[in-house]
Amino acid sequence: MPREIAQLLLNGLMAGTILAVPAIGFTAIYAVLRFPNFAIAAHLTIGAFAGWLANVSLGLPAALAVGVAFVVAGLAGVLNDELILKPLRPAGALTTAIAAVALTLVLENVVRFVFGNDLRGYDLPIRRDWQAAGLRIAPQQVHNFVIAVVAMAAVFLFLAFTRTGKAMRAVADNPMLASVKGIDADRVARLTNFVAMGLAGVGGVLVGLDTSIDPLTGFRVILSVFAAAVVGGLGSIPGAVVGALTIGVGEELSLLVLAPAYRTVVGFAAILVVLTLRPRGILGERAY
Amino acid sequence: MSALLAVEGVVAGYSPSDEILKGVDLAVDSGEIVSVIGPNGAGKSTLLKVVAGLLRPHRGRVRLGEAALEGKPAREVSALGVAFVPQEHNVFPSLTVRENLEMGGYVDPRAARRRIDEIFVRFPALADKRRHAARTLSGGQRQMLAMAMALMVAPVLLLLDEPSAGLAPRAAEQLFDTVVAVNGDGVAIVMVEQNALEALAIARRGYILVDGRNSKSGPAAELARDPDVRRIFLGG
Amino acid sequence: MENYLVAMAVFAGLYALLALGLNVVWGMTGMINLGLVGFFGLGAYASALLTRAHRAPIVLGLAAAALVTAAAGAAMALTTARLRGDYLAIITLGFSEVVRLVASNELWLTNGTDGISGIPGPWRGRVTPQTFNVVYLAIVALAVLAVFALCQRIRSSPYGRVLRAIRDDDQVAAVAGKRVIVFKVQAFAVSAAILGLAGALWGHYTSFIAPDVFTPLVTIYVVLALTAGGTGNNVGAVLGAALVIFLMEATRFATGWVGMLKPVQVAALREALIGGALLVVLRVRPRGLLPERLARS
Repeated sequence: MPREIAQLLLNGLMAGTILAVPAIGFTAIYAVLRFPNFAIAAHLTIGAFAGWLANVSLGLPAALAVGVAFVVAGLAGVLNDELILKPLRPAGALTTAIAAVALTLVLENVVRFVFGNDLRGYDLPIRRDWQAAGLRIAPQQVHNFVIAVVAMAAVFLFLAFTRTGKAMRAVADNPMLASVKGIDADRVARLTNFVAMGLAGVGGVLVGLDTSIDPLTGFRVILSVFAAAVVGGLGSIPGAVVGALTIGVGEELSLLVLAPAYRTVVGFAAILVVLTLRPRGILGERAY
Repeated sequence: MSALLAVEGVVAGYSPSDEILKGVDLAVDSGEIVSVIGPNGAGKSTLLKVVAGLLRPHRGRVRLGEAALEGKPAREVSALGVAFVPQEHNVFPSLTVRENLEMGGYVDPRAARRRIDEIFVRFPALADKRRHAARTLSGGQRQMLAMAMALMVAPVLLLLDEPSAGLAPRAAEQLFDTVVAVNGDGVAIVMVEQNALEALAIARRGYILVDGRNSKSGPAAELARDPDVRRIFLGG
Repeated sequence: MENYLVAMAVFAGLYALLALGLNVVWGMTGMINLGLVGFFGLGAYASALLTRAHRAPIVLGLAAAALVTAAAGAAMALTTARLRGDYLAIITLGFSEVVRLVASNELWLTNGTDGISGIPGPWRGRVTPQTFNVVYLAIVALAVLAVFALCQRIRSSPYGRVLRAIRDDDQVAAVAGKRVIVFKVQAFAVSAAILGLAGALWGHYTSFIAPDVFTPLVTIYVVLALTAGGTGNNVGAVLGAALVIFLMEATRFATGWVGMLKPVQVAALREALIGGALLVVLRVRPRGLLPERLARS
């Protein structure tokens, strides 16, 4: 039993790290643009398919496919925001949120139109699981873990040390003051969309490397992504990481008592519990 | 001496039918401190927002030297050398003190690096806290930081919106000393204040705004002695 | 053809109920519900299970559906009442997914993804299908009329004015001495009951429900109906529902004419069109065809 729990914890941390990547994207858009952008689901799917094309059709290795997914999903994110969501933002956060759901529906179906409903898998070498101290781990899991950690580290370094990264945090803190200081909020918004949707795309590839992809890939993980962001504190990037690890571990541990199909319910339950006890999430909103 | 800032007949409000300012004039010469005082709701803060480019006036003109400011966005106004320090929410709470100053000098990062060192000399309290998040500062320190951020762009004109609001008397006194010191470097300052006497004490000239209109103006020392002014603001 | 038109009228009526239900929270109170399909599904299952397994009369099933969903709605509003609207958006969306998961996995109760068939309908089997259709249309029309009257009453009553005050600024409403939370919970419960009733009526009409019926797509349809009709306006909600059904059916024919497409592509095209239609409406006519006329309060 303790070994089983240790195995679930290990799996949970791996899953949580992957989840953190799109969760950072979701929370970053929230921090800067102040609305829950549900279209993160569609961009996750777009990234997953862009990476799949790069991997399977062009024969690129998974690590490069991640780069392709980041750029394609990021550009799609900027384009979709400029054309569709940005003009609606003056109407309020909730209207924009509704539009984001509609946008997700459109984009998902564009993917479905092109690729159909079939499940697709990445081309991966089949390797045997590693075993140590009675715990099993697949090399692919470790690989994905490393990609996720590198992506997150890059985001943190960008936000902490670059002028543009600091400007992004400044806009998230206080958009009015940022504009007084000469920070171009539109540019920051575009950049945030690029990075955030790019991260969603990377998340899509990681999900695809882990299992398989179809047009609903993004939608299937989105509840866990929301849960991670809300549990950690909407708008807080370290919060998204903490939240994602919490949800990842929680979903795995739930296997001890619940049927696997209910994993995503854990996220929903976690949202309710955390919001009841700490309405601003574990780390609080707006904490960087 | 020609006016640095000239505000003429400005009518402004937060919606087309809303007139908080009903025709206000204001002139500021290079290098002087001008205090704008008046009862709550007189439109003092609104006036600063119009000058800073945060609010487009319905009518009237705002000129900085030869340049027309009315209708220009805040970003362009600040690029012309006008720095606005809002009354509240005037720092980035989750950024460190140093990062706040960098954002203050965002438009000119190269000059900013040099100026940060100068600022830390002028504001030693901020230097000690350079790595702390701004949300951890005391009220007085926060106002200092807000002003220091504004100075990062070497402005010709500094707009201060009630800098002493909410501060303990000692902190307020320190703050006014800093305002005088900053002015000593040649920066013209327009300061909106509730603390009428203190504000007039450090100003060269003063304006009194009542209900969106100019009520009185003149040398600060005279206004401070004016019986009407004393009755309105000092209750005696 | 006649049957088809009657069936479409029934579905339009059911969507009108959903749009009226959404209008109570979103249009009148300013609270978002992106998981309304969850309440719709909950109502459908509640009534189907009660009337099929326990042989309860359909009227009882409808009442139970409304009660169960009202309770669920009240619980949700209680949990989220102190939170900002964006949290409510996330939580309601999550709720509908949970409903779908439970319906897909609790085989003993819901028969899983295979769904429940043989849900009784009033006089079904005892009259011809044509007559059943017409009778059911009458029932749905009656339900729409009753709910519409209720919603109009809410809207024009002092109670409705409080809801609007909350929508426009709940701090001001709170300052005016209104217990905002109580109003929010009540509004959410009423809205959820209407959604649940619509779900129950759906099941008794089609005689079959499955988790697949209750996808987020339905939520989009209803939001589209209300937004196109005119958020806040009950007439607009009903009109919008009719429009959406028309649009869905029109796209069915239109995509049928486009040859050479696989069925999955046709389905994708239709869903994308619906999503696109909502985006266009939000952009071009955000207040709908019949914008809410605000009575001075």
